[in-house]
Amino acid sequence: MKHPVLSNKVILVVWWLVWLFITLGQLLLYYFAYGRFTTASIPDGIVSLVIYSGIGLSLWYPFKFFNTEPRRATAIVGNIITSGVISNFLWIIITKYLVLAILPEQNDYLAYWDASFPYRVGTGVFMYGLIVLAYYLFTSLSNLSEKNAREAQLETLVKETELKMLRSQINPHFLFNSLNSVSSLTITDPEKAREMVIKLSEFMRYALSKKDEQPVSLRSELENLRLYLEIEKVRFGDRLSTEETIEDKCLDIKMPVMLLQPLYENAIKHGVYESTEIVSIRTRVSCGNGYLEIVISNNYDLTPSSVKGTGTGLLNVSRRLDLFYGNKASMKTFKENGIFSVSLFIPSEV
Amino acid sequence: MEKIRIIIIEDEAPARDLIKHYLKDLDSIEIIAECGDGFSALKSISALKPDLVFLDIQMPRLTGIELLEVLTEKPEVIFTTAYDQFALKAFELNAVDYLLKPFAKRRFLNAVEKAIEKIRSGAGNKVPANELLAKKPEPSSPVNRIVVRKGNAINLIPVEQIRYVEAQDDYIMIYHAAGKAMKQQTMKFYEDNLPKSDFVRIHRSYIVRVEEINKIEPYGKDNHVAVLKSGDKLPISRSGYKQLKEELNF
Repeated sequence: MKHPVLSNKVILVVWWLVWLFITLGQLLLYYFAYGRFTTASIPDGIVSLVIYSGIGLSLWYPFKFFNTEPRRATAIVGNIITSGVISNFLWIIITKYLVLAILPEQNDYLAYWDASFPYRVGTGVFMYGLIVLAYYLFTSLSNLSEKNAREAQLETLVKETELKMLRSQINPHFLFNSLNSVSSLTITDPEKAREMVIKLSEFMRYALSKKDEQPVSLRSELENLRLYLEIEKVRFGDRLSTEETIEDKCLDIKMPVMLLQPLYENAIKHGVYESTEIVSIRTRVSCGNGYLEIVISNNYDLTPSSVKGTGTGLLNVSRRLDLFYGNKASMKTFKENGIFSVSLFIPSEV
Repeated sequence: MEKIRIIIIEDEAPARDLIKHYLKDLDSIEIIAECGDGFSALKSISALKPDLVFLDIQMPRLTGIELLEVLTEKPEVIFTTAYDQFALKAFELNAVDYLLKPFAKRRFLNAVEKAIEKIRSGAGNKVPANELLAKKPEPSSPVNRIVVRKGNAINLIPVEQIRYVEAQDDYIMIYHAAGKAMKQQTMKFYEDNLPKSDFVRIHRSYIVRVEEINKIEPYGKDNHVAVLKSGDKLPISRSGYKQLKEELNF
C-alpha cells in the first residue's frame, strides 16, 4: 500500500494546512498556560509543527506494519501505545533542544516550556490519536475498495468461464458420426470424403478459434451453421432438408458466437434422429426496431421419443442470452401441429 | 457350409455402406437385409431370422436397445454406435462385440470372426434378451416410453400414460391410459427408470403413479390398500406405506 499522504500532492497540501491549524491552536493553548507570549512562542510553534508533521508522516510505516500482519488486537494496541509514547517523547525533547539551539539567548523559553509541558503531552497524545485514526480510516477504506475491485474481477472471471463452458458443448455424437461418414466416403466417393473433411475442419476451426466472447456477425454465424447442416446432410441424405428466409439487411448485426448451434443440434436430435419422414429445418431471420428476430423450426415425429430431452440445449441458449444481454433478449418455444419452433429476440447491434 | 445370414440395422446410409464394404470380401456371410429404422428392423428380424445383426442404437421409431427388448428370438448382436463407452461396457458380456464409430476394418473383422465362431459352435445366443438388458445401465436421460409387442404389433406407451405396473412372475403388466400390456422385464427396471417424483413402489409387486391413488384404506389388522381412481385396489406393504407417507406427507 502506498503512503496515503506522500503519494498525493493535494493530500500533502491539506496535511500541512491541518498542521498549521493545529499549531495555531497549540500556540493559543500554551499562551494560556504561560500567561503571555514570548519571542520564542512562534519559533517553538514552527519547530514543533515541522517535527510532529514529519513524525506523523513517518508513523505510517510502523502503523502499516502493525495493521497488515495478522496480529491479536492486544498486540496492535500495545504497539500503537508504545510508538505513541516514543514519538511524543521525541517530539517534545527534540522541539525543546532545537528551539534552544536556534535561539540560545532566550532564557524565558525554558520557563515557557516548563509551563506548557503538561499541555504538550496532552496535544501530543491528541495529535497522535488523530493521525492513527486517519491512517486507520484510510487503510480500511482502501481495503474495502480493493476487496470490491477483487470481487468485481472475480465475477467477470466466473461469467467468462461460464460463457466459455456453455459454448464449448459440441455434441461428440456429431463428431464421431461425421468421422464415420468420412470413413465410409473414402471408399465410395473419395472426392466427397475430401469435401466433408474440409467442411468438418472449417466448422471445427470456427467453433474452436473463437476463444474470447467477442460478438460475431450474423453472417458468419449463418455460414457456419450451413456448414454444420451440410455435414449432417451427408449423414442423413434425403431425410434432412433446409430452408432459409433471411433479410439481407440483418446480416451485419452482431451476436454471441455459436449461440444458435444448440438449437440446430436439437432440431437434428429431436427431428431427424427420431423420424423416418423428411425433416425440414427452417430458418427465418428478420430485423427492425432495434431487434433481431431469429426463428428456427422443424417438424418432428409425434410418437413419444425413447428418452426425454433434458432441455440442456435450450437452457444453454437462454443462459447465454441472459449473460450477454441481461433482460433485453428473450427466447420462446412453440409446439404446434408436429412443428417445433424456437424464436429469439436479440437487441440488434452492428 | 451354410452362410452366416446378416442384417445391417443402421439409419445413416454412409455408415451402412461402410459395413457392406468391410463385409464384401467375406465368403462365409450373406447380407439378407438392410434396415434404416427400428420398426422395419423388427419386421425383418422376425421374418428372416438372421444369425447376426449389426445394430445401431440411435435410430428412428425404435432404438437398438428397445428393439432387443421386444425380440423373442434374438440373433447375435454386434453394436455399432458412437454412443458413449460407459453404456456400452455393460454390453460387453452379452453382445458379441461393440464397435465405436468410426472403427477400423481390422477391428470390425475381428468382431465378425468372433460372431461367426460363436454361431458355428452351435451355441447360438443362449442369453435371453431380458438378461442382457438387465445389465443395461441406467440411461443418461429418463426413459420416455415403454415398447411392448403384441403379436406382430408394436406399441409405444408414453411413460406419462402409465398408471401402474404389476409384477407377474417373469413378466410385468403395464396398466396405462389405453389398456394394459405385458412385457418380459424386471420390476427393478421400472423402479430405476420411472420418474421417482411421480411413482412409488408401494409393494413388492406394484409401482403406482402417485396421482392415480384416490385414497388409502386400512385393510385387516395393520395393513393398507390403495384405492385408485379407476376403483382398482392394490395392496400396500409396510415399507411401501412408509414410502407413501414420506411422498404424500401424511
